[in-house]
Amino acid sequence: MEYIYAIAILMALYVILATSFNFIIGYGGLISIAHPVFYALGAYSSALLARDMGVPVFLAIPAGGLIALIASVAVALPSLRISGDYLLIASIGFQLGILELIKNLPWTGGSGGLTNIPSFLTQTAGREAYVAFAVAAAIGSVLLLRWIAQGPYGRAMSAMRDDELAFAALGRNAMTMKIAIFALGSSLAGLAGGIYVHYFRFIAPGQFDILQSSALLTMVVVGGLRSTWGPIVGAIALEALPQAITFVNLPPSVLGPLQGILFTSLVLIFMFVRPQGLIAASERWHGRNEEVRDARRA
Amino acid sequence: MTLHRRTLLGGIGISALAVPVARAQSAAFRFGLAMPLTGGQATYGQDQVKAAQWAIEDINNAGGINGKPLAAIVLDTQADAQTGIQAATRLASVEKVPAFVTAWSEVVKAVAPIANDSKVVELSVGANSADIAKLGDYVYTTFPLAAVDITAVARYAATTMDKQRAAVLYINNETGTVAAQIYRDVFTKAGGKVVAYEAYDPKATDWTGTLLKVRMALPDIIHIQGLVADTPQVIAQMRQLGISQPISSYSAIYNPKLIQQLGPAANNVIATSLAPGVDNSPAVKAYVERWTKEVGREPNGLPYTQYLYDAPYLVAAVFKSLDDKKIPITGENFRKEMLAIRTFDLPLTGKLTFADDHTVSKRVYLMRVTDGAWTQLAVVD
Repeated sequence: MEYIYAIAILMALYVILATSFNFIIGYGGLISIAHPVFYALGAYSSALLARDMGVPVFLAIPAGGLIALIASVAVALPSLRISGDYLLIASIGFQLGILELIKNLPWTGGSGGLTNIPSFLTQTAGREAYVAFAVAAAIGSVLLLRWIAQGPYGRAMSAMRDDELAFAALGRNAMTMKIAIFALGSSLAGLAGGIYVHYFRFIAPGQFDILQSSALLTMVVVGGLRSTWGPIVGAIALEALPQAITFVNLPPSVLGPLQGILFTSLVLIFMFVRPQGLIAASERWHGRNEEVRDARRA
Repeated sequence: MTLHRRTLLGGIGISALAVPVARAQSAAFRFGLAMPLTGGQATYGQDQVKAAQWAIEDINNAGGINGKPLAAIVLDTQADAQTGIQAATRLASVEKVPAFVTAWSEVVKAVAPIANDSKVVELSVGANSADIAKLGDYVYTTFPLAAVDITAVARYAATTMDKQRAAVLYINNETGTVAAQIYRDVFTKAGGKVVAYEAYDPKATDWTGTLLKVRMALPDIIHIQGLVADTPQVIAQMRQLGISQPISSYSAIYNPKLIQQLGPAANNVIATSLAPGVDNSPAVKAYVERWTKEVGREPNGLPYTQYLYDAPYLVAAVFKSLDDKKIPITGENFRKEMLAIRTFDLPLTGKLTFADDHTVSKRVYLMRVTDGAWTQLAVVD
């Protein structure tokens, strides 16, 4: 059962990560790929607070989310002021910089990773309780982001994303909104990091590099950008599929290339055949360009 | 929704395929083998798995364990912590093996909580991080940790080779940082001076800047602590830049491929080996001949494959002892019995004794490339 629990927890965490990443790049239209670094910040902060400073784990996990939130505001403030594309450059720089720092600071465990991290719930209430905790956090995150995206603030986000100039002309502050979107999405990634680290109890900087960014991007794109269910389906499918493949007794020479081909093919197929992903976004969240294209077709 | 249903049915179908395989192996004594079969380290991982599979074949051809076969459940770790965690979790909870063999320091450390929580013995066979000794009750290594061979090569350079000035160049990851510190400390303590101490990024493909700094420091010897993939490239670039001093490294580069890759540039490269070579053991000679005959080449990382060949023999000895005593096969019992036996006489790496700190100590063979071939330079006890 521990295997099923571990997969269930990973799926729940990837749902949080993909949903919050979708909130930033899909709903917010902010181009960033640094989501895994906020996941890392949450994980490292929570682990170090609990292990080295004696903070109770139930406080260390939200503290990890808070530290990710503060870091995201620190990145967003200067980079969003210039132009949207600069957020992408700043986010890559931030991701590489933070990972280099982690690799070179002795108290983070360096490049060899952090061990002896305290566990949470599993010793007292059982692994099932931790699964319930992770799943509850995933459901809570999805509902929160859905509530925001479908409410009045969501309509404002849609307007900001489609035409920032017109949005500003209406007297709304696009900068504040962008920072709020980026901070909320990043803090949820930090929270996921905290949940991860107190179950698996080992982290190393290599787990949060650019490859992780591309995995999250694939989950969002394959699942469906700007939809509630898209990132959920994408995260679950792309976490379950590699596991399912390993149960087929294929020789390693076939298994390795098969996994690579599968993921590459999925992205290509979805880009050309179904760009809207498995679950298409609702009408309101169709981009302006898509609406114009639809209108032309009609 | 159609796509959804198909995916679900596909998943069920795939899971169903695995059931007969698991049932067929249920009568055997089973252990896990979590190694990199894909990814950047696969070249080495696959050869190591092949060595372990040959050992299982040989054990079973010789009658198995009290008439029952030995079987390994092989899973891929990609030498990656997260994939390793999933593989180890599956071995402990789905396959329910009492012990599993794994390697690569990051994976060994990442899966340690699973071994300790599930009370399943984790045997690290090939990783050399110093932290491995402190990972918990159920984590043991059959491979000497970095302190053993790095101490030997550093002391040999400072004393026997009489080198006064050493440059240390290391990869900035778990493999490099700890071992580089050991080299620096031992070399300095033996009377030498470390004149350059430079790290390089694991993703680096050009080392010109770092190497020029090393050249400027005018060392008598250069120690490189890198990975099997990058060290030959670093040496090649070093020679291209006119750095002709002797180079030392550790067991990862003791590999016939190094000579093929570097050609004459490999001359005067010193590596360590923690297992006897073809000149020291007829069994190793026969083993290497088997590789040449069956695979058409020598194995990548010969000493590592020797340890992997020996791992199933160790596991089989513990299974046999448990079976003889009619003790149930569980991880807890496996650990107790392994420690009760404690000393194992293994075919390709010789005698192995688990120390109280979960580590092992071995003889270090210093190998040097001379005229395009690895030759034994010295043996350090």
